[in-house]
Amino acid sequence: MNKEDSFPLVKMENISKSFGKISALKNVDFSVNPREIVGLLGDNGAGKTTLVKTLVGIHSPNEGTIYFDGKKISFSSPREARDMGIETVYQDLALVELMSISRNFFLGREPTKLGALRVLDVRKMDEICKKVLTEIGIRVRSTNEPVSHLSGGERQSIAISRAMHFGAKLLILDEPTAALSVKEVNKVLDYVREVREHGLSVIFITHNVNHVYLVADRFTILEHGKNLGDYRKEEVSAEQVSQMIATGKPL
Amino acid sequence: MKKLLGQLFVIKEFGAIIGFSAVFVAFAIINPRAFLSGQNLGGMLTMAAQLGIMAIGISFLMISGEFDLSVGSVYALSPMFMALMVNGGLHPIPAFCIALAIAAFIGACNGVITLQMGIPSFITTLGMMMLVRGVILAVTGGFPVLYKGHAFELISALNLRFGDTNFRASTVWFLVLVIIFAVVLTRTRYGNWVLATGGNRQTAQALGINWWRTKFTNFILCSLLAGFSGMVNMGRFLTVEADLGEGMELEAIAAAVIGGNLLTGGYGSIIGTLIGAGLIGMMRSGLVLAGAPVYWYRAFIGGILVAAVIINVRVQKAVVR
Repeated sequence: MNKEDSFPLVKMENISKSFGKISALKNVDFSVNPREIVGLLGDNGAGKTTLVKTLVGIHSPNEGTIYFDGKKISFSSPREARDMGIETVYQDLALVELMSISRNFFLGREPTKLGALRVLDVRKMDEICKKVLTEIGIRVRSTNEPVSHLSGGERQSIAISRAMHFGAKLLILDEPTAALSVKEVNKVLDYVREVREHGLSVIFITHNVNHVYLVADRFTILEHGKNLGDYRKEEVSAEQVSQMIATGKPL
Repeated sequence: MKKLLGQLFVIKEFGAIIGFSAVFVAFAIINPRAFLSGQNLGGMLTMAAQLGIMAIGISFLMISGEFDLSVGSVYALSPMFMALMVNGGLHPIPAFCIALAIAAFIGACNGVITLQMGIPSFITTLGMMMLVRGVILAVTGGFPVLYKGHAFELISALNLRFGDTNFRASTVWFLVLVIIFAVVLTRTRYGNWVLATGGNRQTAQALGINWWRTKFTNFILCSLLAGFSGMVNMGRFLTVEADLGEGMELEAIAAAVIGGNLLTGGYGSIIGTLIGAGLIGMMRSGLVLAGAPVYWYRAFIGGILVAAVIINVRVQKAVVR
């Protein structure tokens, strides 16, 4: 392993964030290595979502520094994070239900023609979208179909394929397996492995240890806004991880 | 057959088309000669156009997830200021531009207050509706403002009558605006952002869309169109009553909703708004020709509104299974 590979893709140091009197994050250290799937775990309100929202520029930290891809960064909007290669798929927020698959696929990055008029290149949108989805193995009747016709698993996979297509380096999945059937969970987990094969890193936020244990390389457990510990998969069993979340105490 | 029906139901404007056709056939049977005359058609279009120009703005704003109840007041405020400025000696063209700027300013205020303070636009614009109406009453003392300036032909051109017919320029403005806004909504990046912002603001934000600016722009567009429509109206009557446009905001919302625009945003059609406004214009003149007392007009609009929305909800269910 050369030196460049061992430098973490994401390094968050000493992050603190409070909303009024409530402190959501207290001196949290968090890192993600290249081609690594990190399970970010913790009970409701432990600060998982706040931590990633701080990373992508929705919140700005009160204290601490963030490095991405070796550079010190402070994003002021999710758009900047997206331009740098951080793609987030929020639970239920990945896609706009009333809009078509291809429009969702290109939302925020629409190919346009006629210069300043910014007319959508609808044909290109449909062609590329259909091609990418077929490559990854997602079958849809038509890319003009509204997303509301799709199952939860199909939606997740479309959002994931979108991230891969647009060259993301880091994919953040917020509860990607919540409210999915067992069959669909397995499919989504397959896509997550596929993402790593393509060279991306993944932050997998969940409180379902059993799902994330199947794919993650490492686990970070948060408790009341503090980092309870980082564990490599070899060091802990799924039972030990869920015990830590339940008791709020490290091993 | 069932499949064909299913496809028909997915046309966004289905409720509006059904409503429009039913009312059209009914009036055509009751009084065919008068109703189907060119005179009446022109009159209908003129009525539909002024309401429709306002309803385009309402629809656009509604699709992005916000409301504007102050459009009826702006519909009177803009032409009032224009008339006052021209009466005071200003040339109609700068006066027209300043009057539009005033409308845009009110839209910008609605936008900033709603988006920055996190207040529902229903409340912000309800307040603005009253505030602006209060200004109009205070300035005019409740009396009509007459347009007495020079260059009558310029203001009249806004709503020029074509020869001896009942067709007027307002219809042309309306149709041009419908085409522009329909294309913007369905075929441009901005339209895509409007749909996404209204469909799910958090998703739009997560995907890096500037939802704030999108909504803010639509507040301004909506107010601008209301002000423009008010000045088109003055081009016809050369006067502004102090109560002009009262209740018109609700008719514009009715036109938008009949047209298949979803009250909660994220879904809609400007062509639907065209049909919705056409339906309301048709009701107004059709009832008179059918010999019904004019008082019944609102009751009929109410009935049509509910019937059209029942159909629209079915269409939307077909889309959002």
